Amino acid sequence: MKNSIAIKAQNISKSFHISQDSHNTVKHRLFNIFKPSGKKIVPAVKNMSLEIMQGECIGLLGRNGCGKSTLVKLLAGVYPTDSGHITINGSTMLMNLGVGMSHELTARENIYVSGSVLGLKIKEIDTIFDQIVEFAELEGFVDTKIKFYSSGMAARLGFSIAVNAGADIMFLDEIFAVGDAKFQEKAIRVFESSWINGKTVILVSHSMDVIQQYCTRAAFLKDGELKFFGDTQEAINLYLKDNEIASETTAPALQEAQAV
Amino acid sequence: MGVNTVRERVSSSNKLERIWLLAKIEYKLRYYENRLGLLWALIKPITDVLIFYVVFKTILKTDIPAFASYLFIGLILWNFFLESTSGTIQILYTKKYLYEYSNMNKMEIYISTLLSSSIGLFFNMIMFIFFYNFIESSTAGLGVHNLWIIPLFINLFILSLALSLILSSIYIFAKDITQIWQVFSIALFYLSPIFYRSELFQTALPAFDYLNPIAGIIINARRVMMQGVQLDFSLFLFDFGYALLFLLGGLLLLNKLGSKAAEKL
Repeated sequence: MKNSIAIKAQNISKSFHISQDSHNTVKHRLFNIFKPSGKKIVPAVKNMSLEIMQGECIGLLGRNGCGKSTLVKLLAGVYPTDSGHITINGSTMLMNLGVGMSHELTARENIYVSGSVLGLKIKEIDTIFDQIVEFAELEGFVDTKIKFYSSGMAARLGFSIAVNAGADIMFLDEIFAVGDAKFQEKAIRVFESSWINGKTVILVSHSMDVIQQYCTRAAFLKDGELKFFGDTQEAINLYLKDNEIASETTAPALQEAQAV
Repeated sequence: MGVNTVRERVSSSNKLERIWLLAKIEYKLRYYENRLGLLWALIKPITDVLIFYVVFKTILKTDIPAFASYLFIGLILWNFFLESTSGTIQILYTKKYLYEYSNMNKMEIYISTLLSSSIGLFFNMIMFIFFYNFIESSTAGLGVHNLWIIPLFINLFILSLALSLILSSIYIFAKDITQIWQVFSIALFYLSPIFYRSELFQTALPAFDYLNPIAGIIINARRVMMQGVQLDFSLFLFDFGYALLFLLGGLLLLNKLGSKAAEKL
């Protein structure tokens, strides 16, 4: 089990077409058939190959705009790739502040829907239902629609579903920012006890402490390219060095601006 | 190998459970939310029938026998079709929360939504059978031939699913498909023998019952549910052919355009 591949990506790439005027209707498309649309192509992920084994905890490092989020969405199967091929073995879940919840549904319904999407059977959800509600500290609001929740309540529910149900492969994008200090502490405890041992986790974080503490391997991305994939410490060093270079180049400009 | 097949079976059973769960929730959202609740699901076809009955029987004096039942079955099939096509154009937008954070198969979203409409159709069909056989005065009675409604329903389901796939995939790149389809569906409605005689329709527009798949399904449904005769098999095969052809197109479009829903919508 441990040594089988969870995700295998071969030569994947993804670019976004950003145009000033959006051809969003048939009418618009017809009327502007010969007019160039002024498209800008932004390559977000350039020709990456990587393999992630089951049970691994992988860190993703890189500065803003380096393609981390795009890579995560590609690996989770949310975005299709432009080229290359991805094999995903198991259900995936992408998690940042909110996970897939409908605001039209009640907490109860959302727990069942999300749990089911994550690959659990109804009976299994029945058994962890109370646990999810209790963990989210939402005992009195089970049959309230999410749209009447405060943002903190919704975030706690999303987090609690993810923590207690969990997909085979979890993508965590800066997740340790949910709830108050007490809730965070609880979240980290569950993260450590159940996720690190057993599930495949891909962790995106700007906190080097978090990456260093949990990740078995880490990847360093820059400008849409996979610069390094392997030893966690090495990746962190590369990332820190990249940050220093960036601040050195921007520092004189900043000083000039301040002088003016 | 053995472990794999077992695991596959387990995951596929979870899939069925999930589709059914989503269908139930969708059905509840559609009707229970309303102040009239589930009653609305029953009142809707009756009011539809009533309106058309007043116009065509009371005012225009149509001579179709058992006209209320004639309308009833035509309208519930049409409403199912409309609900599953016009009603789902924005499905990839409204159900984004399901696929935005996971690798859930989008097909499940479509099937569950259509299944929830099917629950409605099922109740309506029971109402129709009750109405036709116990309230309508002269009827052909119940019989084995009524069972042909099942393949007809499957045909309608595939056709609606196919168009739903096509329309909602196009919606990602052309939002005004909503308006275009609205016009198109009005044309389909009036060019289907829903409130006038199928014979009139067939003589005035020959071969059009073969061009308009929903017309063929309604004609055949009346044959087996009201007239107590066999299916018109050539019509049935044609309609099934349409449905499968459209389904192929729909799947291609979902694969090509629909897969970009997460980044475009």
